[in-house]
Amino acid sequence: MSVVDQLGGNNATRTSPSPAGDAGPAPVEIARLRMMMLIRRFEERTFQEYTRPGQKIGGFCHLYSGQEAIAVAAAALFDKSRDYLVNGYRCHGHSLALGMSPRTAMAELFGKVTGCSRGKGGSMHLFQKEAGNNGGHGIVGGQIPLGVGMAFAQWYKRTGGVTFTFLGDGAVNQGTHNESLNLAGLYRLPVIFVVENNGVAMGTQVDRSSAEKDLAERGCGYHMPHHNVDGNDLDAIIAEFAKAVERARLGQGPSYLVANTYRFRGHSMSDAMKYRTREEMERARLRDPIAVYEVRLCERGVLTEKQIDDLQKEVNEQINQAVVGADADPHPDLDERFNDILAESYPYHA
Amino acid sequence: MIQEMDRDPNVFLMGEEVAEYQGAYKISEGMLDRFGPRRVLDTPISEAGFAGLGIGAACCGLRPIIEFMSWSFTLVCLDQIVNNAANIRYMSGGQFKVPIVFRGGNGIAHQLGATHSHRVESIYSRIPGLIVVAPSTPAQAKGLLKSSIRCDDPVIFLESEKMLSEVGEVPAGDYTLPLGVACIERPGADATVISYGRPLQRVVRPAVDMLVKEHNIDVELIDLRTLRPLDTQTIIDSVTRTHRCVIVDEDYGYCGMGAGILQKIHKPLFDYLDAPIEYVHCDEIPVPFNHYLEEAMMPSVDGIIAAVREVCYR
Repeated sequence: MSVVDQLGGNNATRTSPSPAGDAGPAPVEIARLRMMMLIRRFEERTFQEYTRPGQKIGGFCHLYSGQEAIAVAAAALFDKSRDYLVNGYRCHGHSLALGMSPRTAMAELFGKVTGCSRGKGGSMHLFQKEAGNNGGHGIVGGQIPLGVGMAFAQWYKRTGGVTFTFLGDGAVNQGTHNESLNLAGLYRLPVIFVVENNGVAMGTQVDRSSAEKDLAERGCGYHMPHHNVDGNDLDAIIAEFAKAVERARLGQGPSYLVANTYRFRGHSMSDAMKYRTREEMERARLRDPIAVYEVRLCERGVLTEKQIDDLQKEVNEQINQAVVGADADPHPDLDERFNDILAESYPYHA
Repeated sequence: MIQEMDRDPNVFLMGEEVAEYQGAYKISEGMLDRFGPRRVLDTPISEAGFAGLGIGAACCGLRPIIEFMSWSFTLVCLDQIVNNAANIRYMSGGQFKVPIVFRGGNGIAHQLGATHSHRVESIYSRIPGLIVVAPSTPAQAKGLLKSSIRCDDPVIFLESEKMLSEVGEVPAGDYTLPLGVACIERPGADATVISYGRPLQRVVRPAVDMLVKEHNIDVELIDLRTLRPLDTQTIIDSVTRTHRCVIVDEDYGYCGMGAGILQKIHKPLFDYLDAPIEYVHCDEIPVPFNHYLEEAMMPSVDGIIAAVREVCYR
């Protein structure tokens, strides 16, 4: 059973094999919790690998810690036979949620040839075509028109597929935001625009960059539903996404959803977070999406605290193994730098 | 375009005024009626939006033809073409291909002013991941465009509004020309002249004609047809025989298209040249509105003749 099946996607049934191998099937909620934990652990481990001496990860690196529920919600509704997801550069979480192995993702961060992009993409450019993961893109807002184009292909070929187009609160102000929303609304394309509003673009808070403070209103004027959703509550996001997905699959057009959340880490690894107060950060921790979900699952009797601890240990071990493996993997041969530029070969090449 | 759209259902045409207006320059006349609104689409004025839309669609199995009303308008969507179309294959480690054709009028037309007269060939020809094509005859327009549409790489297809009324023999049927290959339009022994696209059609052919008939210089004329990848082999073979070389474009000389060609050929040709390579290009000024000023800034027949005579020391 694939990762996305376990989360509830691919129209899978609501049960999946129990992670601990116990008798009887366990609900998809456990798989979803586990995936959020996996993403968190992967990101925290990435932080360590980036900052320790002998740094194994170079360049820019944007961590998703605190936003996990949103990626997992998309995966829980994803149909990999016909759906697509496109994203900006904070793309580790979505890639793992759609089924990329932590080993393959970490290898890409290390620049190894076994990485998903053969070491030629890096942290900002995780792609996995067979999973419907159409990448990690570096230019703020540059991916938004791409998402509209992917939805165009679904509309053109009449597959009933949808395209989750992720962007941040900063990208809302790029010109491509306006153009893309207009095209999607005009052509009635099956795009689900997801604004992951973590309150700040690098160091600039939303209320210092957007004249309209309610970002859901930035989706106004394009003839599509535009809503806020609690980005730290996995079930709330799934419910909102499900409505948008159904609308899109039925050919009723795009939706614009603002998932309000918080990122626990800085914009990227070089961010000392001087623009934040301690109170703000402590308040945010109270709405940690993983903690929120753990409490909910305990209250529902799905998991005990001990089982949650065991799950965490299992996840930690999986990530450890991924790092050990990625570490041992080779760098690309130097000649690899000339590969994968063009799909065809041409008669003369200076 | 019609032949390719008949042949492959994944090809579609999108751009400003291509559908109901029948094309800003009437190129797509009748196509909306023939193929319907799913395959021939008018866009709002959103170059970054619809260029990116085309690229996203190309990543997902379609083969878009994106028409720009003018290549000058692509400065607002440079990011989509350079960062997305050209890079996605590489950044994904080869997982995706981007079989898209971007086409439109390039260069100086007539009195359109400084913002509507850009020559973008050197902007795009320096970008790994793009193919840049410039036809100079109606036959080439057909053959090179069909090949570009079938090509699995992103193609920058540089036409010219001023060449649209040009008349010439066009082979019927499934006529294609290979990309990445230059052609020797006129073989000769005395000097090699290299050009492409609109400058070749506008001033180089008349100049070569006069050089041959009135100055007794047996010019070998190379039409590059593709600017990236550059067919350096044909150029080097030619100048190795003629020992003299003149490049003509309508770009700015500094960092222009001809400057790029020079970079690739000067060292292999060093021992075979009997004179420095001459490069005839536009003046380094924004393009003025006045007809005479505009004409003065561009290469002229006389200027090209003078350059060829100079490398021949005649």
